[in-house]
Amino acid sequence: MGISCQHVWRDISDYIDGDLDHIQRAALDQHFAQCRHCTALLDSMRNVITLYRDDRVLAPPAGFRERLHQRLREETKSSRRSFLAWTLTAAAALPLGIALFSARKLIVPAHDHQSPANGPGQPQIVGTVAISLDHDDKVYHVAGCPRLQGKPQFIAVEEAIRNGYTPCVYCIGKARSKKNS
Amino acid sequence: MAKAPHPSENVLAEEPADQISDPDGARDEAPAGVPLSEPNPGDTLRIGLPLDRQQSSFQEVERALIDHILSGHRELFMDLVRPHQRTVYATVFSLLANKEDAEDVAQDTLVKALGRLHQFRRESSFGTWLIQIAINEARMRNRKQWRVPMMSLTHDKHDEETYVPKDFEDWRDIPSTALERVEVREALVNALASLAQHYREAFVLRDIHELSISQTAGVLGISPGAVKSRLRRARLMLRDLLAPGLGEDGRLGWSLKEVRRPWE
Repeated sequence: MGISCQHVWRDISDYIDGDLDHIQRAALDQHFAQCRHCTALLDSMRNVITLYRDDRVLAPPAGFRERLHQRLREETKSSRRSFLAWTLTAAAALPLGIALFSARKLIVPAHDHQSPANGPGQPQIVGTVAISLDHDDKVYHVAGCPRLQGKPQFIAVEEAIRNGYTPCVYCIGKARSKKNS
Repeated sequence: MAKAPHPSENVLAEEPADQISDPDGARDEAPAGVPLSEPNPGDTLRIGLPLDRQQSSFQEVERALIDHILSGHRELFMDLVRPHQRTVYATVFSLLANKEDAEDVAQDTLVKALGRLHQFRRESSFGTWLIQIAINEARMRNRKQWRVPMMSLTHDKHDEETYVPKDFEDWRDIPSTALERVEVREALVNALASLAQHYREAFVLRDIHELSISQTAGVLGISPGAVKSRLRRARLMLRDLLAPGLGEDGRLGWSLKEVRRPWE
């Protein structure tokens, strides 16, 4: 005795998807061969799917593409304007950010660091410093120091000290005035 | 002899943006029912590769296009979405069943996708990602408009044991020419709209857009078992709704009037 119609109705969707094992599938195949009603059900379900897959059923209205592209053109333009505005703002804010960062990061009280280049109680320059590749004056500077001449090279302050560099007087003066303020 | 460049590497460079933009939009527009991110056999992509390599190259080109857009060439976004715009519309139209709302929400979907393109995770296909946004947008529109999800005309309470098909009329051969008639298309749209939203979503993703069960489950955030269950009910309900009306010649006489029940 084969499977019942109810059994077929339960599995028919998986049958359409090819999602049954070969034993289940064979059982349904055998049933379809004998049951006109279930075969009609299967065919009509497949027909439903075929009909809905046709482009024309859920097709966009006339002019959809043009209106969509118009909207997207406007959006990409306004996005570009926003992006440009953001970029300009960021570019303007960058030097200020660097200055604030430098003031906080590069110049710290002497008791935080033990550097042979500066006496106790003196402000120290830490982090990365700039030396001049064109002048052999063995002085290192805070980045952006106006006394720095020639092409700069950025190195760690420890390395500069190890190589006999001393801090720029101007930079130390600036650091002291920062510390006192 | 100079080595010829790999076509997929040069597809963007070979054609200036204004040529890619294709203002008449006559090419590359995939029908609503094609698998997303994969060309149909016979589709011609603008890269001279055999079809098996085109399948993967389609995604490669799409990803290269996304990189270009993210690096500032936002005007290329229209080229990126062109193969998917009908699918997006079909998705929201099937969920909202209103042409004006559907167009509005389809546009919103693509604008949102433009704004969120940097969030696109490339493990899924771009088309599937778009559909996910489209479904969320359609759901939000339904909520905003206090639209009560439409209930099925068939009884949801039918479970697997008690379901009985409405009719056994054989209409396997309804010709596609029947779809040239607007009332036939409207009958299909109305039947779909009469299903509860969770059935509609499963049917649209799996049977119309031909996503796999696991892709459908991923987009809807439900288990594959739940997808199969919803799909089964959706197919049976649609079949029941349409079976009495669409004859073999596509003639529409359907109503929910009398239903022959040969087993009674």
